[in-house]
Amino acid sequence: MIRVENLTKSYGRHEAVRGLDFEVPKGQVCGFLGPNGAGKSTTLRMITGFLAPTTGTVRIGGVDALEDPIAARRQIGYMPEACPLYPEMRVAEYLRYRAELKGVPRASIPPRVARALEQAAVADVEGRIIGQLSKGYRQRVGLADALVADPPILILDEPTAGLDPNQIRQVRDLVGELAKDKTVLLSTHILPEVEAICDRVLILAKGKMVSDGDPQTLRARLTGGETIRFEGRGAEGAFRAALAKVDGLAVLRLAADGPIVRGELDAGGVTDAAERVFRAVADAGLALRELRPKQASLEDVFADLTTAEPAAPAAPARRDEEE
Amino acid sequence: MRAIWTIFKREVHSFFVSPMAYVSLTGWLLFSGLTFWMLAGYYAGQPFGNSAQDSPLTAFFGQTTLFYLPMLVFVPLVTMRLIAEERNRGTLEVLMTAPVTEASVVLGKYLAANVFWLAMWAPTLLYVWLTSRYGDVDLGAVGTSYLGVFGIGVYYLAIGVLMSAISPNQLVSAILTFLALAGLFVVGLGQYVFGDEYRELFAYLSIWGHMEAFSRGVVDTRYLVFDASLAAVALSLAVGSLSARRLEG
Repeated sequence: MIRVENLTKSYGRHEAVRGLDFEVPKGQVCGFLGPNGAGKSTTLRMITGFLAPTTGTVRIGGVDALEDPIAARRQIGYMPEACPLYPEMRVAEYLRYRAELKGVPRASIPPRVARALEQAAVADVEGRIIGQLSKGYRQRVGLADALVADPPILILDEPTAGLDPNQIRQVRDLVGELAKDKTVLLSTHILPEVEAICDRVLILAKGKMVSDGDPQTLRARLTGGETIRFEGRGAEGAFRAALAKVDGLAVLRLAADGPIVRGELDAGGVTDAAERVFRAVADAGLALRELRPKQASLEDVFADLTTAEPAAPAAPARRDEEE
Repeated sequence: MRAIWTIFKREVHSFFVSPMAYVSLTGWLLFSGLTFWMLAGYYAGQPFGNSAQDSPLTAFFGQTTLFYLPMLVFVPLVTMRLIAEERNRGTLEVLMTAPVTEASVVLGKYLAANVFWLAMWAPTLLYVWLTSRYGDVDLGAVGTSYLGVFGIGVYYLAIGVLMSAISPNQLVSAILTFLALAGLFVVGLGQYVFGDEYRELFAYLSIWGHMEAFSRGVVDTRYLVFDASLAAVALSLAVGSLSARRLEG
């Protein structure tokens, strides 16, 4: 549905986006991950036609977005980063205007607006003035706008920024729901968010794609297996002896702090590593206070991916099977 | 075509719900009312009654700087927000990623500006009615005066739209429009300064010469053609400026 080839955007000497190539097939939820300034928004703006690429092509549903921008944009529902809206308009009025602007047939406007209000959970504020709404509501009005013309492609730039945890869950559920019949490309800098809703993750750093794959593979590749963190009560030596009985486990760090022992373990390729650690420690008669797999944080991801910048994008895990 | 109409409707609506609209309309009415009152007082004091050709209305529409100077201020007020505000608020991104062309955006907004312009002038019809109660009114001349006013609107508002398209915010847009219009106005005065060979050129630019003819009931189509051509040039540049924006950031 979305095909990007050799996409580059330069601002004078600064290259914000450097030679991106990717394709998002129909029905996929694709997450764009990257730190601020990685070129996520610039890329999304080029795909939606708000910015012209310096070089490269963008094809939307087979249409060249530079040759026929109107036909390309007709297929896209876009929610920009800060979600700018007209503060003086009322919610339903704004959505009617947007539907009309996007060429929804006159007779279909009322049902489409009603549907978008309901999908984005803003039906309760349809008569309110946008300028008086909270950030969370405004964000969802922006989402309703992206949905109002029922486009096959949704492009959402940080759809959960500024939302509270409940609203974030609502948006995630909605995106999951929409993914059944739409292609979604969304950007975020929150790693758990990507894992929760995306089929695929593209990681951008300094305008280049540094990784392309599904979220699980990505994490595994980054951390080289699972890291387990634990805290227990007992002697340091006893812990060391107990842990040595678990095959394939490497002790990364182990230190006593009074009666408390804290440590970090590399699970390597061991399955159920946490369970085995628990049993080994319990069998040795030691007490565990805490045991949890350590999540690779986004900082880890970027430290990993950007310090040793690869010459070419990392091997695409899924692209081959899709073509 | 439908997009032009959609944008036009939203623009007119949002103008008339903004306090800006009422502040400008009130200011304009106060100013034009004051001008008319002074002119009416002056003509009432003249010994030889009102001829239709020499009435406060003719003077109002063409023979006093009090008519032109406020235009230089009120036109920027009407046009400053059109595109610059969208850029400043970020809504330009939402607008330009909808399936609409730059030309529809510019035209929709320009047509809306013309509606505000006519709305500003509509209350002055009251002066026509008042004058007609106390003297003769040449309705033909009144009609051509309004045609002249419309023509100036076509010309000035297009320049305002262009300035709004190239400005990062409303203030810059208003200042640029004011400077452009004031510049054109001053250059137009050249028709009274320079010799015959240049006179004609300056006369076209001059809204003074423009209104002098129209307020006397003379329809000079050359002026209307000039207004329309200048508007076409300014609006094309505005469309070009909006399209070029995609190349920057």
